[in-house]
Amino acid sequence: MTDAVDRPSAGRIAVDGRPIAFVEGDSVAVAVVRSGEVPGRGGALCLAGDCGNCLAIVDRIAYVRTCQVGARPGMVVERHPAQGKPALPSTDLRDLTRVPIGQDIPVRRAHAEVAVIGGARSGRQAAEGRNAVMLDAAGGMEVVGIYPGPAIVAREPGGMLHLEADDIVVATGSADIQPVCPGSDLAGIVTARAAERLVAAGIDLGRVVRVGRELIRFEGDGSGRVIAVVTRADDGAQATTPCDTVVVDLGRAPRDVLARMARSEAVSAVGSAAIDHPLPPSPTEGIVCPCMGTTVDDLEAAWAKGYTELELLKRASWAGLGPCQGGACLPHVRAFIADRTGGPPPDPFTARPAVRQITLAEAAADTTIDAFRRTPLHDEHLALGARMDRFGGWWRPWHYGDVVGEYWAVREGVSIGDVSTLGKVIVSGPDVVEALERIYPCHVADIKVGRSRYALLLNERGHVMDDGMILRDGETRFTLTFTSGGAANAEMWIRDWIDTWDLRVHVMDRTMSLAAINVTGPFAKELLGRLGLSDPPRFLGHVRTEIAGVPCHVMRLSFTGEAAFELHHSIDGSVALWRALMEHGRDLGIRAHGLQALFGLRLEKGHVIVGMDTELDTTPRRLGMDWAVRMEKPSFIGRAALARTAGIEDERRWVGFAMDGEAPPEGSPIWDVAGDEIIGNVTGSWTSPLLGQALMLGWQRRGRFDDRVAIDGREAVVKPTPFYDPEGLRARA
Amino acid sequence: MPALEPVEAWRVVAAPAALDSARWSGDVVDVLRIAPDEALGIGATGVTVDDPDGIVEPEAGFVVALLGPDQLAAVAAHVDWPMPAEHGTLAQGKIGGVPSKALVGEPSLVVTNAAYADELARRLGW
Repeated sequence: MTDAVDRPSAGRIAVDGRPIAFVEGDSVAVAVVRSGEVPGRGGALCLAGDCGNCLAIVDRIAYVRTCQVGARPGMVVERHPAQGKPALPSTDLRDLTRVPIGQDIPVRRAHAEVAVIGGARSGRQAAEGRNAVMLDAAGGMEVVGIYPGPAIVAREPGGMLHLEADDIVVATGSADIQPVCPGSDLAGIVTARAAERLVAAGIDLGRVVRVGRELIRFEGDGSGRVIAVVTRADDGAQATTPCDTVVVDLGRAPRDVLARMARSEAVSAVGSAAIDHPLPPSPTEGIVCPCMGTTVDDLEAAWAKGYTELELLKRASWAGLGPCQGGACLPHVRAFIADRTGGPPPDPFTARPAVRQITLAEAAADTTIDAFRRTPLHDEHLALGARMDRFGGWWRPWHYGDVVGEYWAVREGVSIGDVSTLGKVIVSGPDVVEALERIYPCHVADIKVGRSRYALLLNERGHVMDDGMILRDGETRFTLTFTSGGAANAEMWIRDWIDTWDLRVHVMDRTMSLAAINVTGPFAKELLGRLGLSDPPRFLGHVRTEIAGVPCHVMRLSFTGEAAFELHHSIDGSVALWRALMEHGRDLGIRAHGLQALFGLRLEKGHVIVGMDTELDTTPRRLGMDWAVRMEKPSFIGRAALARTAGIEDERRWVGFAMDGEAPPEGSPIWDVAGDEIIGNVTGSWTSPLLGQALMLGWQRRGRFDDRVAIDGREAVVKPTPFYDPEGLRARA
Repeated sequence: MPALEPVEAWRVVAAPAALDSARWSGDVVDVLRIAPDEALGIGATGVTVDDPDGIVEPEAGFVVALLGPDQLAAVAAHVDWPMPAEHGTLAQGKIGGVPSKALVGEPSLVVTNAAYADELARRLGW
């Protein structure tokens, strides 16, 4: 096939490194054919976007249907490899850690009463008299897929279109049926309508043979081009006809892939896309699915294994799993099944987005990653040289450059930490005690005003969801705290139950309204005394007072193992409070501590971090925290499950381990001491500066509750927790 | 360029009927009814509500940007829900993927938690 008309060149494109001239109006595929080559690796060309035989890499984007893309000067086209898939674009992995700055693709969002896909006659008829938006590929609106909603994602000039529509009409017409027979992967075969397009483009097809259902096979030369076609006449006689081009006319199939991906009554097909066209004869030999290379033999083998239903046959043989999603093979596979069952052909298989290549930039256009919150002390942390990291939905200081120094400040002096990220919820109302008694596994009614209690939050299965403090502010008012990462879920949880029980309780989430600074260490009390806390609350007490002129809710508790006071306050006072603490604690050796030191401090105390140490089915007993559950209460969420399973031995337990040397990575497997079997995993790990050992918390499987285990190739011993100050004297000091 | 600024505000959780008749103090107060039982009074210097168990707190946790019609239209390009046209309508959802609220009016208000302020401003190019 070559250019038959001396038309003026509109420019050149590069195909596999060779320049090829094209004329005005050429698609890339037509331009390549005009040059005497084929855009893909052979196979019948439909030039209508239905098959995968013209796929190529265009300007670094793979899987482009070159028949649907207009040639432009300077375009770079590479054919897909003869074997395997096109390689992914090379990426500097370091880029993955940065915010993408590459392509900024605009997204236009719109809504339509009716969206009609396809601008031909049936589409125009469907749109007539209706408030319709037409999406016509000829007009540059290339539909990529239909999603639940229903919503259409389309590529349009200059960007992407996200179109929601009350009704979607698929009026995409019909596709030419592809041949399935030996030699169907040769170059030089075109469908009937593709031939019309090529002739209209002024391309000389050479010696043309038109074939229909009399087709038996194609014959080629060593270069992969067709040189003859073999047909069978009505009398059974075979004839071989030399040719340059074979034009195949096997009928039509509905071009309904978009309709097949939408499981919505709001999506319908009309016109030729909705017609159940006659199927071709059942294939007997050759490649059925050019995209995946599935042959008739493959179909036979899958059928013989019992995959006799269309969706199963598709998955077992891979026919229809390629880029064209059955555009080439579906009529043949349906005919194959109908032939074997003797019944009507099965309904077509489903399809999924995308029906056209889509780049990651296009798919991600105008979508966003989760937003991470900043505490009001963010800039203070940066000023101190903090390495910030994302944790529990927040940016938090991981350390300030000296983890061990931060640790010693807590153990021997005074330190402050930003715990603004903790969940903070106020609950108030005449039924509030009743509600909290039902929600929490601990007693609530006996918490006196000004006192607090540590509490687990369990689900109906008795599994630990979260933990925190219950602080009584008044007879009918409490403050609840939760973990940073679990706060939102916990808030929803208590709201849902209060609504379910129809109790008179108001709930206000204050997590992002209040900041909190943890002042901890042996000198914490002295520092706070300098700033106005003349009568500090005793352990588990809380008061409202001003610290450095900032109104604070001061909570006396401890996660570090040392005396600790959490100063909860309005976020507009955070910076002033933080700076006052740093200033007045300077002679006490104050320094800020980050999460890494905090995790080590808590590990020495054996405190659990829900979500980090726990699993989805962790019960209080497995954590060794039965003391936090009062089974004598008549009811609370999770009680029935805990009672039902009370007699069952635990299959694993969360315990402490110690060994010499540096701490192993968190997540390390725990082996039996002989190193034969993995019996658990490490959830927390820390080289204790104080105890001079590697300390770990982790899970150990029942049946192997040995006192000695192997971690990181070293022998470790099971040790009771807390590792540090087991009497809790320092926290209460 | 719009800017998200801290605002004086009060926040109330109370019985819906009590919230309906809440008395807000302040020169210019925009009351955002966040939920049937919750309201945020932007610009309020105080509030009285007839619910003895109502939770009434001064609120410094939100930031607000004032927008003209064109600026609101630019914000609307960053949401996947329809921006209401009627003045006085409160919309809540994600703007540029950041939990936010928009109160349509003259000017319109975009409201988010202070914890999200930097992220929202960055995503909107402010």
